[in-house]
Amino acid sequence: MNITEEKKDGITICNISGEININTSPQLRKSFESFVEANTAKIVVDFSQVSYIDSSGLATFIELLQRLKKVGGTFRICSMSQKVKNIFEVTKLHKLFEIFDSREAALNNFL
Amino acid sequence: MITILGKTIINFIKNISGVIKLLVDILYWLIIGPFKGKAAQRQGIFNQMIFTGLRSMPIVFFVTIFTGVVLAMQSAYQLQKMGAVLYVASLVAVSLCRELGPVLTALVVAGRVGSAFAAELGTMKVSEQIEALETMAINPVRFLAVPRFIALFFMLPCLTILGNLSGMVGGYLVGVYSLNINPDLYIQTTFKYLEIKDIYTGITKSFVFAVIIALIGCFEGLNTKGGAEGVGRATTRSVVISFILIILADCIITSIFYFSKL
Amino acid sequence: MIKKDSKDEPIISLKNVSKYFHGNKIIDNVSFDILHGETFVIMGCSGSGKSTLLRLMTGILKPEEGSIFVKGKDISKIRGEELDEVRKTFGMLFQYSALLDSLTVEDNVSLPLKEHTRLAQEIIDIIIKMKLSLVGLRGYEKHYPSQISGGMRKRVGLARAIALDPNIVFYDEPTSGLDPVVGGVIDKLIKELSEKLLITSVVITHDMQSVFNIADRVAMVHKGRIIDVTTPDELRSSQNPYIQQFINGRPLGPIDFFKEDIGIGEIFGL
Repeated sequence: MNITEEKKDGITICNISGEININTSPQLRKSFESFVEANTAKIVVDFSQVSYIDSSGLATFIELLQRLKKVGGTFRICSMSQKVKNIFEVTKLHKLFEIFDSREAALNNFL
Repeated sequence: MITILGKTIINFIKNISGVIKLLVDILYWLIIGPFKGKAAQRQGIFNQMIFTGLRSMPIVFFVTIFTGVVLAMQSAYQLQKMGAVLYVASLVAVSLCRELGPVLTALVVAGRVGSAFAAELGTMKVSEQIEALETMAINPVRFLAVPRFIALFFMLPCLTILGNLSGMVGGYLVGVYSLNINPDLYIQTTFKYLEIKDIYTGITKSFVFAVIIALIGCFEGLNTKGGAEGVGRATTRSVVISFILIILADCIITSIFYFSKL
Repeated sequence: MIKKDSKDEPIISLKNVSKYFHGNKIIDNVSFDILHGETFVIMGCSGSGKSTLLRLMTGILKPEEGSIFVKGKDISKIRGEELDEVRKTFGMLFQYSALLDSLTVEDNVSLPLKEHTRLAQEIIDIIIKMKLSLVGLRGYEKHYPSQISGGMRKRVGLARAIALDPNIVFYDEPTSGLDPVVGGVIDKLIKELSEKLLITSVVITHDMQSVFNIADRVAMVHKGRIIDVTTPDELRSSQNPYIQQFINGRPLGPIDFFKEDIGIGEIFGL
């Protein structure tokens, strides 16, 4: 798994590639921790290169959402593959997250 | 008749090798386990220490204090004839620390804790819980037997010290209030003849007894077969076998100390 | 973990497996393949050897003859840590749930996570909540297994089985002892898990309702032998007398529950 981040108009865009699983999710959590500490209130995660996400990965995103809610931040996910979308749907988490089909759509709606 | 005898002997050998295998397994997880990042759970050890140690204190206390009382009265009856009533104090202290304290405590704990090990693990075995642990890639010996073994190994000597002390209190009560020995003099005589080696021979025994109780309890539990009846059988067997082995081990250790003049 | 392997490749493969108990052949030269992502049901009467088959596949029992490949590894030959590595990638739901009595519901579900991962406690807590809500159980985290109903225990057992996101889940009589509604709920969960998460499910049952609800393929076991491997649709129209007797629950037929040749007189020694 690889994480790269870029900033655009005060929004942090996070590109993740590869598998998010039990071995890699702690690394993801660590990099999110730095975002929240840095008060980066607007985060978009690009899922287009994510091939698989397991429960520990989902849990990491839920924790991030909980933390951002406390500091009044926004968190969005975009460009999921159907396979990854299925995982969100079977756990009913697609209702919890703001999920967009494309990166543009996710970035546009920010106020 | 011969076939029954043969079967009994085969079973006996099977059980002995089973117990030895369990001991090797426990030692493996105890010594090698932590280096593989698979140490026994601290929470589990702590819970077992509460159960085996703290909760056994009342019964150990009552059993040994009354033994101390009986011991004092019995020896006073003999020593009075020789006009040596004062020596009740040292007789009670020495026989408690060397012999009665460790053995009585071990027997009480075998009845209370060893049987509980067998019953608990036996129930887990017959209700597929042990199999569930195995399918979850959790070794039952590491997860269940090791915490119990560690807890008892450290708690039984502590309970033995408690037993020694409360037994001496029992002797003191008889000595001071019934035999009218001066309290200071009683305490003085107690420690005058009590040597440090009396205490450590007793404690050495209690470590051995702890190994016996934990091993037999866990072995019987983990090898339970056949439903509720099997659990009952395992529990009874664990108590009977521990009792016999404790007395046997006591006999061996005492004779080692006796003949090597320790 | 979902692998991109082709669906036709067997994930579990039994080759000429035989198992003896006290000299009796319980499993007799059984061979079959279970494919990636399918729900494979093994059905048969009590004592037909289907539970033994399951225990052979999980490595609890070792066969005397033949080999059992689970994800390419011969589970009948490996032991210790190597076996544990394979076991971490599958989950199992037991007939009587087999939850640890001394642990609460949440501790039962978190046990594999705490034992096999180095995830932070906060993450584990979230995973437990996710798994429990997946099986439709909320608000019972602090209860002990003895304080909840049999149906709930089954669901906790299922949550525990999928705690580590396995790619194979074994179900030992998942609906037995449950009322039809809860049984239906469990069936729906099994189907959902296997369809959406591409989990391979191996189900042992004698509940025909459940077979028709969930199965992709069905194997009929009788006296330690595989009578037939077929699909649920073919099952109904099957001409096989064993299958006909089983799915219709007839007392008389080739499955000789009542041994007709042993007369009543023989029982009393007359």
